[in-house]
Amino acid sequence: MKIAVCIKQVVTREWQLRVNDAKTWIRDQDASFELNEPDAYALEEALRLKEKHTGEVVVVSAGPARAAQVIREALARGADRAIHIEAEALATADAVTVVDAIASAIRDEQFDLVLTGLQSDDQGFGQVGVVLAEKLGMPHATIIMEVQASPSAGPGQGSLRVKRELEGGWFQWISMPMPALLTIQSGINQLRYATLKGIMAAKKKEIRKVAPSASTEPNARILGVHFPEKSKQTQMISGSPADAAKELVKRLREEARVI
Amino acid sequence: MILVVGEQRDGRLNRATWEAVAAAQQLGDSLKIALAGSKADGAAAEIAAADAAEVIVLEAAALAEYTSDGYILAVAAVVEQEKPASIVFPHTYQTRDFAPALAARLGRALVTDVTAIKKSGDSTVYVRPVFQGKLNADVEALGPPPHLFTIQIGAFRADAAKRGASAAPIRKVNVAVDASAIRQKPEAPFQEAKQAVDLSQAERIVSVGRGIKGQEHLKIAEELAKALGAELAASRPICDAGWLPMDRQIGSSGQTVAPKLYVALGISGAIQHLVGMKGSRTIVAINKDPEAPMFEIADYGIVGDLFEVVPAIIGELNK
Amino acid sequence: MSNRETLDVDVLIVGGGPAGMSAALRLAQLHKQKGGEPLTIAVLEKAREVGAHMLSGAVLDPSALAELVPDFKAKGAPLATEVHHDRVYFLTRTGKLRFPIVPPPLSNHGNYIISLNRFVKWLGGLVEAEGVDIFTGFPAVEVLYDGERVVGVRTGDRGVGKHGERKSTFEPGVDIRAKVTILTDGVRGNVTKSVVRRLALDAGRLPQLYAIGIKELWEIPADRIPAGTVMHTMGYPLRQEEFGGAFIYVMPNGLVSIGFVSGLDYRDPMFDPHIVFQHFKQHPFVASLLENGQLVRYGAKALPEGGWHAIPRVHADGVLIAGDAGGFLNSIRLKGIHLAMRTGMLAAESAFDAVRAGDASAGRLKSYPAAIDRSDVRRELYPVRNVHQSFSYGLMSGLAYSALSLITGGWWYRDPMPAHAGYERMAKLDEYYPSGPPDPDSPIRPVKIDRQLTFDKLTNVHYSGTRHPEDQPSHLIVHDAEVCGTRCRIEYGNPCTRFCPANVYEIVDTGDGTGRKRLQINASNCVHCKTCDIMDPYQLIDWVPPEGEGGPQYEGM
Repeated sequence: MKIAVCIKQVVTREWQLRVNDAKTWIRDQDASFELNEPDAYALEEALRLKEKHTGEVVVVSAGPARAAQVIREALARGADRAIHIEAEALATADAVTVVDAIASAIRDEQFDLVLTGLQSDDQGFGQVGVVLAEKLGMPHATIIMEVQASPSAGPGQGSLRVKRELEGGWFQWISMPMPALLTIQSGINQLRYATLKGIMAAKKKEIRKVAPSASTEPNARILGVHFPEKSKQTQMISGSPADAAKELVKRLREEARVI
Repeated sequence: MILVVGEQRDGRLNRATWEAVAAAQQLGDSLKIALAGSKADGAAAEIAAADAAEVIVLEAAALAEYTSDGYILAVAAVVEQEKPASIVFPHTYQTRDFAPALAARLGRALVTDVTAIKKSGDSTVYVRPVFQGKLNADVEALGPPPHLFTIQIGAFRADAAKRGASAAPIRKVNVAVDASAIRQKPEAPFQEAKQAVDLSQAERIVSVGRGIKGQEHLKIAEELAKALGAELAASRPICDAGWLPMDRQIGSSGQTVAPKLYVALGISGAIQHLVGMKGSRTIVAINKDPEAPMFEIADYGIVGDLFEVVPAIIGELNK
Repeated sequence: MSNRETLDVDVLIVGGGPAGMSAALRLAQLHKQKGGEPLTIAVLEKAREVGAHMLSGAVLDPSALAELVPDFKAKGAPLATEVHHDRVYFLTRTGKLRFPIVPPPLSNHGNYIISLNRFVKWLGGLVEAEGVDIFTGFPAVEVLYDGERVVGVRTGDRGVGKHGERKSTFEPGVDIRAKVTILTDGVRGNVTKSVVRRLALDAGRLPQLYAIGIKELWEIPADRIPAGTVMHTMGYPLRQEEFGGAFIYVMPNGLVSIGFVSGLDYRDPMFDPHIVFQHFKQHPFVASLLENGQLVRYGAKALPEGGWHAIPRVHADGVLIAGDAGGFLNSIRLKGIHLAMRTGMLAAESAFDAVRAGDASAGRLKSYPAAIDRSDVRRELYPVRNVHQSFSYGLMSGLAYSALSLITGGWWYRDPMPAHAGYERMAKLDEYYPSGPPDPDSPIRPVKIDRQLTFDKLTNVHYSGTRHPEDQPSHLIVHDAEVCGTRCRIEYGNPCTRFCPANVYEIVDTGDGTGRKRLQINASNCVHCKTCDIMDPYQLIDWVPPEGEGGPQYEGM
């Protein structure tokens, strides 16, 4: 199976976020970065499928130069080669721009399966995977918790049966032909560690650098970011426990309307 | 005219459809509501109570079960026919599955997980969370209309949706969806007992901290949770002590939640806990210590002994 | 079950800090210069990224850098600013007295204010460009011996659960065998500690002395104080009997490094270095400096302060020790980075020679301590060999001796000046508080925490970016936790709850209704400072590395 995994470098989860002076994004010049968590699970799933069915795993990342960090990590874990679509602006680009960059870089490779994380921990629009499927003309399924692949001899003739997550503890299996795209949910598997040999081997693996396609019309623009304002001041409710309880329940019912 | 793409399964309307209606109504235009899937009649009748121009029920054999391929074709067809100025969806798992591809098919902008809409004149700015809710972003949709957006579940109030003076007319439309164009073959959905508790799905949470003082006192929190229809959760020290399992932990080393109601009992509000629940819509803090940082982010606070206040609250709720 | 990976290299460097990186770079340079067989070099670093666990003030003496990388400026060395203003103050509770002349050891003319984290990242880039493998996320936990010869290290197992069980992702630690192993695992390094113990490398040496440095990175209005200003203070909030002082280093764009160093040889069991730091920040001079500023990062690390006589034997069959791991720090100048680099370079030279000669015995590797003796390292450290020890007689005695040593080259009638390990100096509660022991759970000198200027430990820890996967065994090995709730509580009042700057140790009720207390270890808060391993009065705590990649994220520190 020839599998592509789209990975994104994001600021680490514990990072204390500060907004930049222009208030257009966060200050990330001196931030700590890591591989987007759902993408890590997507990569692991791809590696497992390759181990089961043989084949090749190619990681693709559209991002600034520093994204090389997560590419190397992916190669160290076992991906065979990488494609780095490099541009500073891709760090905060909209889905259409990112998809255009990825699609033009991988279209000719004829992958059987494309995996992405279900959404990124930074922007979290959750669009790139699905839009990429559309642009590549592949069927897709999202928020996948299990993958059963039946690749076949010829390219583009296999099929998949995948388990998608629905609301409230519901799931559903669906089947579709390959080539296809899946967006993967965190927790689908256990992430392996990069071994020493893996880290050393990663240095010799190919990272094809590509410039993003010339001009794509973005479909959305982030005008600014800000910390959520508390819409209300804290209302301290005083009095005896009985009185305070009564007042609280009243306000929760009538004012906040949460019960 | 704004098109609301609602959701229903087997005749049961997804409540979030009402929320999408409320959001759409905020934009001030007339609206139509579309529904698809088998047995949609019951759901259509329910949503027809909204103040809307009409409810459009999309019918096709191929739409009986949800598939992204099928729904993209169906909704695209309706959009082609109705030419709405905007299209609104509730941000459900189903919507996340097909709306981005639909937007791409239409060549139009999509903004997801919107929590507020700021309209000034001709321009509309969508507010939505980024960095897992730590920040909000103001997003502008670019390109020609219709713009699509999905609204975060619970961000708009279902009961704020205006009802119509009389039921909106329901129109059935036969959409030409070619079954052979649908590549997904779905099986029946099923429920699975989840190993770990997924607190992120809970609408209400009662959370306990050190102030609960002992495992034997958890009962009072459990009773409050029961009275509120809430899930039980805890700050780190409680789980470290083994009084509650790890999957009930909220915070930087546990789960991040943003329920409608978060009641913090005896939780001081260390930053490691706050980052896991700051996004909750309504926060109630009950603590003996008036300086507890939790009060700073709470909407309602009671300084007092939780062993006296909580029973009183339970009493009030049961009245 | 995966098989244990093995790797064979010529030189293994344990710890990717300034000493280790300098050793690696030097080795690569020597190989380029002298040619010959390919030289395989590996650097092991426990952090997730190069530099992530690096914390220091810091003011860099560029002498070693200029030798290692003569074109360091052209190569973009991240030197924030040259030092322009040097000031030393003596603080009282509300006032300050400026020393009219900056004592020569504290004069920083020609030096640079840097972030050690950035500096090491940059060095790491140079090292990798030479083709050296840096393995991040791989802590060394065990030394491999062939008889008494060090032949390499074993890294920690990964994928072990909280109760020691193997998870599905389990990977056994890697055995890395090397002809020469250079230990640069930092202050109180776990590997160096075990090698010194096993090979008795500290026989006849003074016990190592330590201090804890707690540091914060702040952003203040950029025009408040000129970049390049270096300030050191002594006096308040420390008392006569306590060693330490503060540093404030001002970088461009309003970025300020501010920190407090407290000797880990205090007598008062109720001493809390974190509270001392908060009191310091509340001093009117400091508070006005930080007003309207914002805390950006927090961290802590121990420093080796014992000086020349506390440095163990730094060579044995197959092994060399350099940097803070060996105790190469000039406590009177408050500088160790250049010494770490210098000793790393010298170790590299001896290692290279040994590999080429096919002989890594102690006899051959003796060239390393011999080179140190001939170098700037001894020229600098020998004259100040008794300085820290002199402070055990009080602040005034220490200052007097230090001043004297500038002229006399460190002479003292008893040389080495006697010293005891810091933890031995801690008095018991009833000794230090004869009128009645204080409540161990309340600070003896409480400070108001406002979370703007002053912070509680837990909030501070959040700003260190420290994280560890939860499902792993605790890496703080307390050999007899029974002592905590009983003997220690009575004798010392559980000082671990105070000297740990990260709220790792807590004394909680056992909850069985008897009112008895027990120790709770919040291992994932750990910032890897090593203070607990150093200062526990019963010496029951062994700090071992947690699973690789865990620990702080000291960006900019």
